[in-house]
Amino acid sequence: MSEIFKPARPAAVAEVLVQAKGAIEVRGRGSKRALGRPVPEGLAVLDLSGLAGITLYEPEELVMSARAGTPIADVRAALAEKNQELAFDPPDYSGLFGGRDAGTLGGAIACNLSGSRRIKSGAARDHILGFAGVNGRGEEFKSGGRVMKNVTGFDLSKLIAGSYGTLAALTDVTVKVLPRPEKIRTVLVFGLAADPAVGVLRESLGSSHEVAAAAYLPQDVAQTSAVDLVARAGASVAALRIEGHGPSAEYRCRALKGVLDGRGATEELHTQKSEIFWREVRDVAAFAADPVAQIWRLSVPPADGARVAGAIAARLKGRYFLDWGGGLVWFALAPLPDAGAEVVRSVLPPDGGQATLIRAEAGVRARVAVFQPLPPALAELTRRVKEGFDPDRRLNPGRMFADV
Amino acid sequence: MNLPAFRLDDGFLAALRAIAGERVVTNAQVRERHGRDESHHPGHPPDAVVFARSTDEVVALVRACAARKSPIIPFGVGTSLEGHVAALNGGVCLDLSQMNRIITIRPEDMDASCEAGVTRKQLNEALRDQGMFFSVDPGADATLGGMAATRASGTAAVRYGTMRENVLSLTAVLADGRVIRTSRRARKSAAGYDLTRLFVGSEGTLGVITEVTVRLSGIPEAISAAVSAFPDLESAVNTVIATIQTGVPVARIELLDDVQVRAINRYSKLAYREAPTLIFEFHGSAKSVVEQVETVEALARDFGGADFQWAIQPEDRAKLWQARHDAHYAAQALRPGSRGMATDVCVPISRLAECILETRADIDRSGLIAPIVGHVGDGNFHVIFVVDPDDAGEIRRAEEVNERMVLRAIAMDGTCTGEHGVGYGKVGFLQAEHGEALSVMRAIKQALDPDGIMNPGKILKP
Repeated sequence: MSEIFKPARPAAVAEVLVQAKGAIEVRGRGSKRALGRPVPEGLAVLDLSGLAGITLYEPEELVMSARAGTPIADVRAALAEKNQELAFDPPDYSGLFGGRDAGTLGGAIACNLSGSRRIKSGAARDHILGFAGVNGRGEEFKSGGRVMKNVTGFDLSKLIAGSYGTLAALTDVTVKVLPRPEKIRTVLVFGLAADPAVGVLRESLGSSHEVAAAAYLPQDVAQTSAVDLVARAGASVAALRIEGHGPSAEYRCRALKGVLDGRGATEELHTQKSEIFWREVRDVAAFAADPVAQIWRLSVPPADGARVAGAIAARLKGRYFLDWGGGLVWFALAPLPDAGAEVVRSVLPPDGGQATLIRAEAGVRARVAVFQPLPPALAELTRRVKEGFDPDRRLNPGRMFADV
Repeated sequence: MNLPAFRLDDGFLAALRAIAGERVVTNAQVRERHGRDESHHPGHPPDAVVFARSTDEVVALVRACAARKSPIIPFGVGTSLEGHVAALNGGVCLDLSQMNRIITIRPEDMDASCEAGVTRKQLNEALRDQGMFFSVDPGADATLGGMAATRASGTAAVRYGTMRENVLSLTAVLADGRVIRTSRRARKSAAGYDLTRLFVGSEGTLGVITEVTVRLSGIPEAISAAVSAFPDLESAVNTVIATIQTGVPVARIELLDDVQVRAINRYSKLAYREAPTLIFEFHGSAKSVVEQVETVEALARDFGGADFQWAIQPEDRAKLWQARHDAHYAAQALRPGSRGMATDVCVPISRLAECILETRADIDRSGLIAPIVGHVGDGNFHVIFVVDPDDAGEIRRAEEVNERMVLRAIAMDGTCTGEHGVGYGKVGFLQAEHGEALSVMRAIKQALDPDGIMNPGKILKP
């Protein structure tokens, strides 16, 4: 049984790291514990879920600070009261990983997870203004602040986002929040094959109608939706999200349909149905029902999305869908000893693309590179950055790369 | 600065010449010009200036410098504002302005890859017929490499972001000559630490940026601008807060105080009311722009805004923004023979009016002339001290007011620099603002540049 430390105040985190010897597993509510490489068994655990609570919320300034262990649900509830939201829309992977809920704010930042509006609103890392945490030496430090612009030295916030707890144990996070759009509309275009569908997504994103998200679900994925119009279409669905003030959203929706005239039958979802639909896309709900499928997430140039998905589907049995205008490929496949890593990574375009193994059993994640292997110079730089924060490799060792 | 002074010897010079031939320059005038930027901070000339032409050449030059432990100071066009390019203890200035090739523009991905010496205007010129533009617009026609290194921003940051959001990937030469290329076209998620962002804003202290891929934005179908005068600063700031609250996607919101309006009126022969003034710009479809203007006009009226004017004609809009961009020159023209000393702080927007008013009172007590302009959507503002460059006492008084303003901003949970950066001008304020984080920054610096040869004395004290 691992020793578990659960500090109740930020200062106690540093004390734990000073007292506890050796490596330690850093986690929040554990909702994404199965994401990334497994850390060695038997490590002591630094459980940050006791550091909860919103410490500053200034709706007028669009700023919120909270303890790192604050549940995302609490953050969302507080924001909703003021008609605001986290524009990066952190996903809830409890369906994928069997967790209790969407986890913590610190966890969303540490894993840099963002929803479908990523293409317009930016990633988690684009919304973090500052943080406080403790590095591997047990030193408390903070970086950034609560103002929108800040050029005081190295941008440590951006480095912390997506570092999976390998650089610092976060204690506090300050994020930019945004007004929630009054209306959401979704334009659906039915029956397109992947290639022309991506054309439609990209053309829509390039239009002046401010499309906020663009996804494509082949028929076998669309039919799992809880939204009737999507599930019963009996065809693939290309979906375009438009949001904003009521009249403006309605107008842009009509105008976009005009642009897409002749591409296929169209339908429209209103706010409530749109919310359900985009939540499904964000949370990868279509793949949650199959508990053993191995799941990949590929980030590619949007123009390559359909080709990459097709190339994997031609060699491995599975299902896929596209988000981020074609730039994000989700692929679920029947379990394989190497999770199909060789095939998946071989179809990435040579000048850009990353494949992350989002879900597989621990043994597979220990054997197969979960994150895209880095070229030697970047790998070396990564090790040096890690050394700058955590020279003894105490924080989540091996969670991202075997030697980091 | 207590850095060991570096000395250039003949052997080292020959090693540099073997790489870059006649593009290694030791002429005093050229060195002088490369040791200072557009700020009031004293210049420090490097021992030699090398005009590099390719990443490979930069690698060879960095290796040669590393072998001699010579400082390396990257240089674009020298428009930084906190002494970023000063060779505080000598060494070699790497001038990248001849690396000015636009490598690829990818309209389908809305991005462009450029060598570090390409300037923002050069890029926008190349984009002119493609329906796209590069949105970051600091006053100067800076290089993309320099803008990435200083994490530059501009007037449209409130909508389009700063270099932080607009640099997608880059190529950098590290202190040991190793070349790294961060995430290229598939930029939506880095496959490890976000090293691109680590280099953005590192001010040449971690490596030499030789290539930058930037995000491009679509030229909006319609653009409109508006200007409104307010009875006082609070009313202007409250209008800005209300505007952002309602989610109106304003592209630009600039504040000019009454002194600056007077300066602009005189300089640009305009006749705006000499009161705190906001200038807005709206981007979008024709219909959405009209909606945005109407919403903002109603808000401005609620807060006592007067003389709300729309400038829809491109020439009217150009005139308005030219006046804003000329703020610095207009300020200098308030006092012939003077020089403008630009400052830069950023505070939470709820404290903005308070911070500006206290600063204004401090300026008035000091007897200095100093208009104020601000990118208020971000809580960022600049005082332009109009000083006599030969009057050391006056410059000192301006520096004192600046120091109090910076400490005031930090005390209000703000920052000592919203967009100009640290250079060596603000090294001292960093401790006040960051405390312990500096040791973490220092550890990163140590890990990447153990000999401390990359632009020494900037961001971190040696």
